[in-house]
Amino acid sequence: MHDIQTRIRAGYLDRRRFLSGTAMAGAASLVGFGPKSLRAQAKPTVVNSIRSLSNPYHATWNAGGEAFAKWAGAEYVTLVTEGDSEKGVADIKAIIARTGGDMVLNVDPNESPDARPIVEACEAAGVHVVTQWNKPDDLHPWDHDPYYVSHISFSGVPAGKAMAEALFAKMGGSGGIVALGGILSNTPAIERKKGLDEALAANPDVELLDFQTANWDPNKALELTNAWLTRFGDDIKGIWAANDGMGLAALEALRAEGMAGQVPVSGIDGIQLAVEAILAGEFAGTVAWDPFWQGGMGLSIGYHARTGAFDPSKEPREHREFYGTGIVVTEENAQEFYDNNIKASPELDFTDLWGRVAGQIQYG
Amino acid sequence: MAEAATIGDGRAAGWKKLRRRLAPWAPLLVLLALCIAIALVNGRFVSLRNFARIADAASIPLVLGLGVTFVILMGSIDLSMEGVVAFAAIILCLLVANGANANDFGLLGALAVLVIGAAMGFANGIVHVGLQIPSFMVTLGMWFVGIGIGNAILGGIQVRVNDPLIRALALEQFLGLKFQVWLALGALAVAWVVQEHTRLGRYIFAIGGGEDLARLSGIRTGLVRIATFTMAGVFYALAGIMAAAQQGSAFALIGGGRLFTAITAVVVGGTALWGGQGGVLNTLIGVLIVVVLANGMVLMGVSPYVQQIVQGLLIIAAVALSVDRMRAKLVK
Repeated sequence: MHDIQTRIRAGYLDRRRFLSGTAMAGAASLVGFGPKSLRAQAKPTVVNSIRSLSNPYHATWNAGGEAFAKWAGAEYVTLVTEGDSEKGVADIKAIIARTGGDMVLNVDPNESPDARPIVEACEAAGVHVVTQWNKPDDLHPWDHDPYYVSHISFSGVPAGKAMAEALFAKMGGSGGIVALGGILSNTPAIERKKGLDEALAANPDVELLDFQTANWDPNKALELTNAWLTRFGDDIKGIWAANDGMGLAALEALRAEGMAGQVPVSGIDGIQLAVEAILAGEFAGTVAWDPFWQGGMGLSIGYHARTGAFDPSKEPREHREFYGTGIVVTEENAQEFYDNNIKASPELDFTDLWGRVAGQIQYG
Repeated sequence: MAEAATIGDGRAAGWKKLRRRLAPWAPLLVLLALCIAIALVNGRFVSLRNFARIADAASIPLVLGLGVTFVILMGSIDLSMEGVVAFAAIILCLLVANGANANDFGLLGALAVLVIGAAMGFANGIVHVGLQIPSFMVTLGMWFVGIGIGNAILGGIQVRVNDPLIRALALEQFLGLKFQVWLALGALAVAWVVQEHTRLGRYIFAIGGGEDLARLSGIRTGLVRIATFTMAGVFYALAGIMAAAQQGSAFALIGGGRLFTAITAVVVGGTALWGGQGGVLNTLIGVLIVVVLANGMVLMGVSPYVQQIVQGLLIIAAVALSVDRMRAKLVK
């Protein structure tokens, strides 16, 4: 690890090596696209492709991308799919054409199958690409050396489990809970629920009264919680939600009944209002994925591969397909997390590429 | 043989007569049957607390439904409500005491939001009438404009509402019902007065019954259309205020899923999609059917997948039952 970082720094400090790196990248792009390669000495454009800017998660992702671009002194472009796979792929092809392939892409594909055409388009144009969250199981970075640099995901299982345990602890270890799930065909939703199930199996004194899918929608979550309050009344001792948005809505339903703070709620994602709710004693916890890191470091990994700081094909597989580390936020560290990540803009060391690798991705 | 046919015809005629007589009451009968069926499965349905919750859950869809009822009565459609709700909720959040800036305009902020709703509705109407663009297209555009501006303002974050007066809508109660329920009932009263006792209400029915005829009898249909869309915008903005109060915060997707519920409620209540038939009281019944059904399915422990299927079937069945096939000449 130390060795790589030294090489990266060297790559930056040594102007000749830096230039030769970009020149090579420029030469690669010369194959398909002529004129832009004349700007080979300029920094590659750094591009984030995400679902939308209308949720806090991707908005923070975008802020991380901006921070990296500022750090690297590169032009920054954000593409949004708005949940439309075709738009996502088409916009990426358009930006590849505009930059003549002199770019680095960090993409959260709208759906798993989208990753393949994206990676293929990048490979054809000599664009270094990092994918996150969604890709088909049989698409691997090492099959597309050197342009498909890495795939990053986060396992929802430990997060769902950690939150269930934090919730049970706040309930005193026994009682009934209700659970709000995400869209059930969605990988994070499935994994987070699996984590909940594992925690339930380990805690026989906690009973799952009902599990419903609220499709990540706060409005639906509020409606469901209201109906549960009728159906189960005071038997509900805790509410587990697969993300913060739904958890906060459940909390508002409790507040309307004067039960906020009495029935703990857990979320996942680590958005500001959830952390504030932990500080207020109403939330049991949340898991922060640190989208700022995802938006910034995803670009940094691709950028450093492109500028020659490391050779993707020589990296071990656990650097090519890996789980990142989620930060579990509970009462104990909420204030510290709030001060460092929310009040202040997070400070990232963009050269610490592999500091948060939590193991190679497992399938099945 | 011939005798049998006559008896058959007699029966069919009797059935037709009965159907015609029962048709206006069908939504109410469906609602009652639904309540009885749910109560038989789960006794907890019949409790003051649950009725108060149903009233709570019905208040926002009712206000949205009232707005769109007038548009549907003219034979048009308005899809902009999710955009207006989001935009209104976000602006409200930023004007009253909140977690993002130092504003604290209180009720003045709420009033400003109603004006903004009116402006968005007015824009719908003027583009629809002035440029002769189908209401479907114009309001679809306004839907995305509303959410888009909301995104541009918030950049994806969620802003907390701290104004106690606004929060009181969802948190405080009067005579066992939350203030938002009283507010929704107030909106219903206003809508009923507009429908029954104003010229605008009569003109809306006239346009829905036959726009050419209405125009020939001297009604300035363009003006009526613009006024109706403007009025609908005010209702959506009011719903936006209520949504922000209920969620305790505003975010760009705060309108999510509300269009389907509102339109389903209007149609299930017996207001015809081709205009001229129905009204705001039908919408009240329709909203209650949709909300009671959703509440009841959770009480009965119906799987979430089946719930969606049931809601989808409900809207198709409601339209199928309400279509007067003698009048409809063309199906498109």
